[in-house]
Amino acid sequence: MSATALERYLEVAEVSKIYRNGTADAVEAVSSVSFSVPRGQFVAILGPSGCGKSTLLMMVGGLEEVTAGRITVNGTSMTGPRTSIGVMFQDSTLLPWKSAVDNVLFPIRVLKRPLDGYRDMARQLLERVGLDDFARKKPHELSGGMRQRVAICRALVYDPELLLMDEPFSALDAITRDEMNELLLDLWQQYTKTALFVTHSIREAVFLADRVLVMTRRPSTIAEDLTIPFARPRPMAIGESREFNEICGHLRERIEANHYRRAAPIMPRRELVA
Amino acid sequence: MTAESRAAPRIVAAPVRVAAIGALIAPNLRRLRPVILPVATAAAVLAVWQVIVATLHIPAVILPTPVEIGGELVRGLPVLLHHAVPTTLDSLMAFSLATVLGVGLAIAITYSPLLRDTFYPNLVVFQLVPKIALAPLFVVWLGIGSGSRIVFATFVSFFPIVIAAAVGFANTEASTLRLCRSLTASEWQSFVMVRFPFALPAIFSGMKIAMTMAVIGVIIGEFISAKAGLGFYVLYASSRMETAVIFAALFVLCVIGLALFGAVALAEELVRRSYGRR
Repeated sequence: MSATALERYLEVAEVSKIYRNGTADAVEAVSSVSFSVPRGQFVAILGPSGCGKSTLLMMVGGLEEVTAGRITVNGTSMTGPRTSIGVMFQDSTLLPWKSAVDNVLFPIRVLKRPLDGYRDMARQLLERVGLDDFARKKPHELSGGMRQRVAICRALVYDPELLLMDEPFSALDAITRDEMNELLLDLWQQYTKTALFVTHSIREAVFLADRVLVMTRRPSTIAEDLTIPFARPRPMAIGESREFNEICGHLRERIEANHYRRAAPIMPRRELVA
Repeated sequence: MTAESRAAPRIVAAPVRVAAIGALIAPNLRRLRPVILPVATAAAVLAVWQVIVATLHIPAVILPTPVEIGGELVRGLPVLLHHAVPTTLDSLMAFSLATVLGVGLAIAITYSPLLRDTFYPNLVVFQLVPKIALAPLFVVWLGIGSGSRIVFATFVSFFPIVIAAAVGFANTEASTLRLCRSLTASEWQSFVMVRFPFALPAIFSGMKIAMTMAVIGVIIGEFISAKAGLGFYVLYASSRMETAVIFAALFVLCVIGLALFGAVALAEELVRRSYGRR
């Protein structure tokens, strides 16, 4: 593999997304976004709701078409979903009639890989997230945090290279959310993947990521690309440090500066799947 | 345990024992309540019916007593069963056809926007048409054989299934389908692994309605033209003013309807369990 491919595992070049409702009213959800991510980096995309960050993530995952520009992953242009990319959604999207372990194994079934080769992996992952005693439980018997933990295991079980996470913990309460962040960092340390993590929580972004991209509303583009200096592993206590809070303060200013510059109407939220 | 804690040592032995027995029986009573209450209500209605008819000397032609109906049921059982067979078979046949056609059309509607836009509004409007009134047309078109009754009953029971199944398929969680797409699942895989199981409860609730509608359709068909069947037998008994026979036939019809409905409910339970264990 060439050095540039390593440095630019993911490359987003001048990507735009325009939703058209007839010809008259077109909404530009993402406008000319460019950035690149080297292999193994954890990048958070931070922005207010409705700034198009989820749309951007779905385009990277091949789940939405780009209107203009180009997305390249591992040297090849994205034209549709790929099995080397794992996606985590806002809700856990577990199948309600399947047990936790069977939900973790769901991608293996879809990909028609031999199940027996992955049972141990599924067990290990569930143990890793502290759910070994709940492997046989159905989703309705699990708490919201537990369900998202199952979803993390499901995203990791087939070993994708790139992990896309669309506000995966935003539906959880603050305490569970902190726990999940710690757990995610822990897992990420072990199974290092290239990761793109969309969030509207500044602290979450700073705590998790190597690098934070700030996305703004109108124009929906990247206003800041900030490297987070903290070494790993990062203890939870890092959130109390002055440096951490200074970074958060700076990011907040960047978001608000763009937010209030123009009174932008709230973009209608669209379902991404027809 | 509550009885013991409530019974302080000062209280004499007898009430303690009564309370203990009460504590033993009460939980069982509470558990059986959903069975006891409706059965007791039905029994009470029958008893009142019996007493009113007897005391007011209502003629048996107008309203026979439950006891007389019971007697007729026992005496005429072979004849009743003879007529029950075609009614049951025709109903089952119509129900099966309606299920296959209904779910099939629902799948077509789900995957083809063109078919959906073409058929769905018409289906919803047609659902509102009192289809029973069309029964004589089927005799005109298809004659007086059991085929015409089966087709009519299929026609009547088809609509609840299509609509329930189409709604079930459409209501599959969009995010779960997106997960399938992200895993590069084929349409067929998404359907079998996600859409179909998600729609099962809706499909089965449509099937339960359809089962009842199929029996109604067959009976209506038998009212119009038949040489056998419970509908035919009810009409025949009515022409001879044998009211007790009518009631006995209705009773058998109720049992058949319950059994068929129960079979669908059982099938639902089995299918859901098989999905759960997979």
